[in-house]
Amino acid sequence: MNRLFAVGLTASALLVPTLARAQSATALLDQGVRAYSVREYDGGAWLLRRALAVEGPNALGTIDAARALMYLTATEVARNQRDSALAAARRLIVLDPRYRPDAQTFPPQVIAVYQEARRSAPSVSIRAFGDTAIRPGSDAFVVRLGATTAPEVTATVTGADGRVVRTLFNGTIRDSVDLRWNGLDGSGNAPPDGRYAIVVTPRRSSGTTGGAGGSWTLRLPLELARPAVDTTPLPAAPPDSLFRPERGDTKGAMRALVPGIVAGVAIVVLPKVVASGEQASNARLIVGGTVTIAGIAAFLAHHPGQRLPGNEQYNRNLREQYERNAAEIARRNADRVRQGKMIIRPGAPSLVTRDTP
Amino acid sequence: MKRHIAAVALLVCVLALPAAARAQGRGMQFTVGGVGAQQTVQSHVDQVTDRFTGLLLGAEGSLVSDRFVVRLRYGEGRINPKAGSSAAARDVVEGEALFGLRAVPWLTLWVGPSARAYTTGDGDQRWLIWTGRATARGTLLPARMQTFVEVWGAFSGNVGTPPLKAGGRGAYGGLEARLGEASAWWGRLGYRIESPHAAGLRETVESLTLSLLYGLPQ
Repeated sequence: MNRLFAVGLTASALLVPTLARAQSATALLDQGVRAYSVREYDGGAWLLRRALAVEGPNALGTIDAARALMYLTATEVARNQRDSALAAARRLIVLDPRYRPDAQTFPPQVIAVYQEARRSAPSVSIRAFGDTAIRPGSDAFVVRLGATTAPEVTATVTGADGRVVRTLFNGTIRDSVDLRWNGLDGSGNAPPDGRYAIVVTPRRSSGTTGGAGGSWTLRLPLELARPAVDTTPLPAAPPDSLFRPERGDTKGAMRALVPGIVAGVAIVVLPKVVASGEQASNARLIVGGTVTIAGIAAFLAHHPGQRLPGNEQYNRNLREQYERNAAEIARRNADRVRQGKMIIRPGAPSLVTRDTP
Repeated sequence: MKRHIAAVALLVCVLALPAAARAQGRGMQFTVGGVGAQQTVQSHVDQVTDRFTGLLLGAEGSLVSDRFVVRLRYGEGRINPKAGSSAAARDVVEGEALFGLRAVPWLTLWVGPSARAYTTGDGDQRWLIWTGRATARGTLLPARMQTFVEVWGAFSGNVGTPPLKAGGRGAYGGLEARLGEASAWWGRLGYRIESPHAAGLRETVESLTLSLLYGLPQ
């Protein structure tokens, strides 16, 4: 009966992988444990790995993940896959260094493999507290480093290319330490979206710290993302039609001359029209003559090739005003982007040692 | 009496400044300033002509939006008869209140009353003329120097008591220059001639004006 159940379970898992993917990690874990208990180790290993591979909000919690890794260790021992069993046990130790397998549940050879992994694994663990949204520079993303000894380690945030973005910790871990990253790189700038990692390694001077022979890397993958921020588009540069000619031309000169001449003549002549028969005073000649002379002076100031300092200054002001506006809008946009929240999604931690298969 | 009127005019100007500043904050512009005018008057009563000359001082201001303009002007002074005339000196008060439409950037059309009053030995003579006007402006040097010409004609008007029907025409022209680079102060040299008339009466008033203005004249 149990064999029939196991066969059916394995067949359904193999034939309908999409259905299995759609299942929750907890359900996969339960099925994997059930498969182990009925000694269907191949199907059980597959189900437990599927359960551990689920990411995001449906991923296993720390306790369930530790349980899954312990059963995976036991399953691999039963399958005579010793290296795989050791790897699963090391993952478990990284996840929770204080985990202790139940001797009533697992046979002695499984406990022995776990103890061997424990002896060979570094005594450092890393734990994140789920997806976190922070304002770079103001808030902090927190992970906890734990250790059963007192190793000296260096913890850095690195980019996908291995470049160090920020050093978070450099010292000795006594029991545990919270690493706080404010979302900025070493220069105080927020790094672009993408994949990063918190990498913990033993310090060179303490290369033998931990039980792994001194060469190990603990890695917590991170994914950085920022929701879109509303920004103001930069203004268009002023069109050429708004700029005034900086050198005089014939057209501009005539435009300056004509109003002066017309107004000057009008002022002299209009009294004859307004008050014909009266003897107009010389005041009209003074004003009309002044306006005419001003028109001629303006014509000369605009003659072809003549620099027009007033227009140059006007154009300079126009350009500077545009540049000031554009710079101000760019600054505000940068502020909005800077004040926008950064979402940090931690992945599953991994440990690489010199003897990792 | 004249001092009282001058004090009231000054007070109105002072009180109007904050309002004008608020108007500028709402996208409107204002111009205020003082004006001095050397007047020459030819006064005809029937066949008798008297000539006067004298100095008037006053103030003017305008409030300008994209399309509309309001302009106020006030002046007062004393004109004296020229040598050889037996007429008495006159205390003169004049003013105008105009509402304008900026038809195109260089042309403004106005409507509004213009008043002029003076005392004589026989009593007061008050001219009130409703006018329509057109002002054309031309730029000589952008933002530095401009010229203008204004002409007006009377729609209706009256003078004296009992009132006689009055009419008339007038013109005003001149040159405006900014006093300094990027300064808000402008100077204006102008020539104004007005010739209101009624039955048996004609006043031809010529003024050589010099104004100091705060704000771009428009």
